[in-house]
Amino acid sequence: MKNIPSQIEPIIRLNDVLIGYKEDEPLVQIPNLEIFPGEIVAIAGPSGVGKSTLLKTIAGLMRPISGSVEVCGKSNPDRPDRGRLGYVPQSLGLVRHASVLHNVMLGADAGHNTPIPFIGVCLPSSLAKKKAIEAINSMGLEEKISEPIRRLSGGQQRRVATARTLAQCPELIMADEFLSELDQETIDMVLGEVTRYVKSSNAALLVVEHDITRAKMMADRLLVIDDGRVNPFITEPTALEVNI
Amino acid sequence: MNNIDNAKNFLNVLFDSLRSWLGICIFIFLFSIVLFDQMIHDWGRASQGIGNLFTFFNESLWPPDWSVLEPQAYPVCTVYPTFMDFTCSTAWIGMSETIKIAFVSTVFGTILSLPLSLLAARNLNPPWVSYPSRFLLAAFRSLPSIIWAIFFVILVGFGPLAGVLAMTIYTVGYLGKLQYEAIEGMTKTPLDASEAVGLSKFETAINVVIPESANDLISQAIFMFEYNFRHGTVIGIVGAGGIGYYINLYLKFLQYDKVIAYLIIIFVVVLIIDFISIKARSYFTEETDFQRPTWKSVFLPSSMNK
Repeated sequence: MKNIPSQIEPIIRLNDVLIGYKEDEPLVQIPNLEIFPGEIVAIAGPSGVGKSTLLKTIAGLMRPISGSVEVCGKSNPDRPDRGRLGYVPQSLGLVRHASVLHNVMLGADAGHNTPIPFIGVCLPSSLAKKKAIEAINSMGLEEKISEPIRRLSGGQQRRVATARTLAQCPELIMADEFLSELDQETIDMVLGEVTRYVKSSNAALLVVEHDITRAKMMADRLLVIDDGRVNPFITEPTALEVNI
Repeated sequence: MNNIDNAKNFLNVLFDSLRSWLGICIFIFLFSIVLFDQMIHDWGRASQGIGNLFTFFNESLWPPDWSVLEPQAYPVCTVYPTFMDFTCSTAWIGMSETIKIAFVSTVFGTILSLPLSLLAARNLNPPWVSYPSRFLLAAFRSLPSIIWAIFFVILVGFGPLAGVLAMTIYTVGYLGKLQYEAIEGMTKTPLDASEAVGLSKFETAINVVIPESANDLISQAIFMFEYNFRHGTVIGIVGAGGIGYYINLYLKFLQYDKVIAYLIIIFVVVLIIDFISIKARSYFTEETDFQRPTWKSVFLPSSMNK
């Protein structure tokens, strides 16, 4: 059992949260959930049960029907500060007609560059570009740096989306099925890079994963959404004791 | 009883067919015929039309007077070499002015419409921002370019300035609508990803929305140039510059053979611009580089393109 010191603040804290698209049709109920720095948490469950909706709600893209969602010290509807939250949506959210570097720079700019006040756009920054190139290299995409996204395979596009988040250096990474369409060798490489980043930066990783074996393998803690409720599944041997 | 059953069956069949799309189409067509008939009081005039057309064509229109391609008497043409002296003709001067008006107003219109369309897109902005922008674009679009041309001729006088202003305003309204529809049609996830990481609205517009919809935006701007050129030939009739000025001039003098020469020139130039536009837009509408048409395939029919 891994013990979290009581003074450490959770990165994600959910209390009595009800989520869904319609008020009268809630998808998931979460009585209590806390995710701490350095922790890797996987959400699993049957298709259509609300895993991605939960992720969107935590990312601030949807409001909960009721309850309180606190992410990186900010309660919904306030948003976490720029760049603190990294998000890889299920359909990746890449700019298909732009290059790999352009896409990864979006994350790097969010994490390392501040927009000019009142104008809202960043000047070019050497730090952001350095971080972007490092992230692209870490995903083995250095030869594709100038390629438009539409010319990449599905697996390469997933690696670009992951690089975009790593270039951002966020405190929390939320990834929705980010390992699908990848071969085992690439999964090991991508997962290795992300895990290394999470552990070395004391960030948290919250991942939606339909493959429960892979979810158990990668996560410190597995949350299974079943029948509209998040149920804790304690993994061995590094599981955290949770109170949901 | 048999007659009643037959009548019921007939009505059932009739209602079924009316409910079907074919029935609705037939109903709309018949309704429009009735409306048309109500508007026309003397169908005899229509029957005389063909005869009038032949008379008009033989006596006034044909053959075209190609002197419109000869240099004007004044100012004296000083172009060298002499075979280039057609550039002093009214057809060349009017046509080149129309193309310039169309090009300038397309560029200005695109620059002005893009920020408005970004504001008007409902997937980027709340209703209190998007609806006023849409209202403005609709207001620009509500009047045809020829009415804007009349308006600007009154404001700034005859000439291409009125033409450019009129076409620019219309371009903003028309292109703005096409642009915000393209922006609203883009997939939501890039916007979600940008919002989640905390990119500003302006960063999202510059770095996500414009690159993602760039192909549509460029394709629409090229289409708009083509459209502006076609409409630019008309606005000269109200004095807003371009070849329409000369068409109007010769219409007033009843020199229809010169008018038909201008119309043939416009037709040929419209065809050329259409073909160039198809080629240019193909670079921005195809997913890959491999499906772009060749110049040969654009200009030649498919039977000659093997």
